[in-house]
Amino acid sequence: MNARLLKPLAMPIALVAIVVFFALRLDHDALVGGGRFVFLGPRNLTQLLVEFATTGTLALGMFMILLTGQIDLSAGSGVGLVGGIAAVLVFQHGWPAPLAMLAGFAAAVGLWTLMGTLIVRQRIPSFIITLGGLLIFKGLFWLVIQNSTVPVTRGDQDNLYSLLTTYYLPPTAGLAIASFVLAVLGLLVWRSRSARLAHGMPVAPRFKLAGLAAATLAVSFGLVLVCNQFRGVPLTLLILAATAGTVFFLTRHTPFGRYLYAIGGNEEAAVLSGISVNRVLIGAYLLMGVTVALTGFMTTAYSGASTTTVGDLMELDAIAACVIGGTALRGGRGTVGGVIFGALIMTTLLNGMTLLAVSPEIKFIARGAVLALAVWMDVRLGRR
Amino acid sequence: MSSLLAARNLTKRFPGVVALRGVNFELQPGEVHALCGENGAGKSTLIKLLAGIHPAGSYEGELQVDDRAVAFRGIRDAESAGIAVITQEFALVDELSVAENIFLGRAPRRGPCIDWLEMHRRAGLLLADFGLAVAPETPVRELGIGQKQLIEIIRAIDKRSRVLVLDEPTAALSEHEVAVLLEHLRRLRRLGTACIYISHKLEEVFALADRITVLRDGASIITLPRARTTIGDVIRHMVGREITDLFPRRPAPETKGTTTTPRVLLSVRNLSASRAAANAPFLRNLSFEVRAGEVVGLGGLMGAGRTELLMHLFGAWGHRTAGEVSLGDGPLRNPTPREAIARGLVLASEDRRRYGLVLEQSIGFNLSLSDLRRLTRPSGRLDHAAEFSRNQRLFDAMRIKAPGQSTVAGTLSGGNQQKVVLGKALMTEPSVVLLDEPTRGIDVGAKLEVYHLINELTAAGKGVVLVSSEMPELMGMSDRILMLAEGAIGGEFARADFSQERLLAAAMGRTPRAA
Repeated sequence: MNARLLKPLAMPIALVAIVVFFALRLDHDALVGGGRFVFLGPRNLTQLLVEFATTGTLALGMFMILLTGQIDLSAGSGVGLVGGIAAVLVFQHGWPAPLAMLAGFAAAVGLWTLMGTLIVRQRIPSFIITLGGLLIFKGLFWLVIQNSTVPVTRGDQDNLYSLLTTYYLPPTAGLAIASFVLAVLGLLVWRSRSARLAHGMPVAPRFKLAGLAAATLAVSFGLVLVCNQFRGVPLTLLILAATAGTVFFLTRHTPFGRYLYAIGGNEEAAVLSGISVNRVLIGAYLLMGVTVALTGFMTTAYSGASTTTVGDLMELDAIAACVIGGTALRGGRGTVGGVIFGALIMTTLLNGMTLLAVSPEIKFIARGAVLALAVWMDVRLGRR
Repeated sequence: MSSLLAARNLTKRFPGVVALRGVNFELQPGEVHALCGENGAGKSTLIKLLAGIHPAGSYEGELQVDDRAVAFRGIRDAESAGIAVITQEFALVDELSVAENIFLGRAPRRGPCIDWLEMHRRAGLLLADFGLAVAPETPVRELGIGQKQLIEIIRAIDKRSRVLVLDEPTAALSEHEVAVLLEHLRRLRRLGTACIYISHKLEEVFALADRITVLRDGASIITLPRARTTIGDVIRHMVGREITDLFPRRPAPETKGTTTTPRVLLSVRNLSASRAAANAPFLRNLSFEVRAGEVVGLGGLMGAGRTELLMHLFGAWGHRTAGEVSLGDGPLRNPTPREAIARGLVLASEDRRRYGLVLEQSIGFNLSLSDLRRLTRPSGRLDHAAEFSRNQRLFDAMRIKAPGQSTVAGTLSGGNQQKVVLGKALMTEPSVVLLDEPTRGIDVGAKLEVYHLINELTAAGKGVVLVSSEMPELMGMSDRILMLAEGAIGGEFARADFSQERLLAAAMGRTPRAA
């Protein structure tokens, strides 16, 4: 098979290979007819989806930063900090959860806008600013939570914060929303296709579209049905879907998105094309703040409380997800779909290793190896 | 007669393309042999074979050195056979000194240490030999492009290279620097160094070469002794058709009649500007006007400030210390490029790969990049259909040779990339177009199309400022010429007064005369 056909299939094939590997190791008994599914069981798959949603949301913010050729190393610390601020406000000060989360949200957007402004106005490399941010936010985070464990609710009462990762859609609602979203998606694709045809623009061949539609339908409804066997579709998956939809719209259908690609592809040409590079870069960091806040709330809620290790190294997982998904570190190349696949691959690896009871030492090494491998592939591709 | 270097029946295939088909080429000792051909004719591929960049086995046919077949496995093999290739991208380390660059990787040693005294002594001798008034300790970054080129040549000579391959060596040089380079090459020829010389500038080729080989569509068409051919002949062989008028400037209808003076589109009054706020002004006291339907040529030596002036007007260079610029009805004060574009002023930059294009994106992406805001619906969503049809109109109008507007810009030839850059500028519907070296490095056919485009622009009542280092082009295409000398206007000439001598004198600041 030639490379052009193989390339778009590389990621699905890698994902399937990883899933098969873990399934054989963890679900061997169940597959041959006895025992329960551990890895492929509905309980674990639901959990995997929640973890996927947190990594994926952060990776989508990182994606827009990487597109411009910049980087953000502070995201993981920020995730902890923002989750911590909201947890302290709820648990120690008795704020209502929505208000506390709004405060955390404002803090994240403010901090990231500030970092973006420093990068463009003072011309400090983003690598350095965000490396400083990594340490500063970590320190602030521990100050805020006083090195302790701060639950996201008082007593056992559910609030908006805790429900982020504990709310599951009722089975019928899950199916209904999935059908609705898919129907709207199908309508949009069909309308854009006929509009393109009407203007004589090139369109994807029918068989490709049909294949894509069939795969999407099968995967989506398959997921919903599996989730429904446990407790239903997790709310976090909807948050990820909404984020992905928004980022897709921004990058593909707005001038802002075009400018992200143009700046990463050739910043000097972008300036001379009349693009306000500074504003676009600050915008990218502002949006990163938004995804850091969303991820912070989800990650903290998922672990039940804000503790000193929440968010550790998440920036690296997010970068790895982007790069695995074909985003170029030097900017200008990448797709939302690729990032989603990359996040899924990263999450599956981590989840599978946890189930295999791989020791933390080895997990660190494996994470690092995956990151290095992904960057190596990026460099090799970038050379062409 | 024995040959120093020869290519016999070379054929080189790339996936989907045959770059060379049975090329024959022969270089004799001590001759300057020019390679001419349009972009894509196969000159670069041929050089890459001679230089070992495409190793033996990747092509068919035979390479010979001193009449013996050779198989270069890489650049090192070619170098040890005495072949040195000097391209537009210099292999110099900017932060190191001239001496260190000349002896890069082979510095004279005393024991384990570099013998700095010996190195500087030998570098000094070489520099003096070439009449280069540069101290061996000078960092290379402080040199001009012409000097850097000579440093590369000195290095190649000192490595005992017998064949110098120069690929478009004068693309970035001023007329004066070209003259210096040619003189050095003639001197080296007398000393027995052979040279393969590639240039789009046929005047240079005819001033230097002993023989000329024309390539077209990957085949060697003919080898001509310089003494027995003409520029017209060579061009005819290059394009395979007759080009009657090299510079088909058609003055816009308004400028022919003297009844009404066309209105002023761009006016510059006593403009001075410096690189940064603290520096002394680099552009000094410039005044000129650009009227509707007019091409104002801007000439000058390298470093005279032509590019800086265009970039400053466009808001992409320097700090204004004095003077006024007005565009249309209102003043233009320290604009950003974005504001300049919105006001109807647009720049097509000289270095299209660096400033002009996002190379890994499609033609369409690049064409509409400056004008996305007008293609956005009130909802903030891009109107892809409108974008596509606007792009398609320009794609067709510019006659860009590519399968379609989704073709990646980086895969296009230089001439077609230039058309995309110009198309992007025109997409913004400007009133004044600043063109910085619009035909640099593109072939004769593409140049003609650029000239026709300039005529169309002025016929539509737009004003054009044309910067060019090629005198014939500047004189052929301008209605009026301003020569810059060291950041100031050295002279202004009406079309009737154009002569190469006068213009050059003004560029060197010798006989400043105002029109």
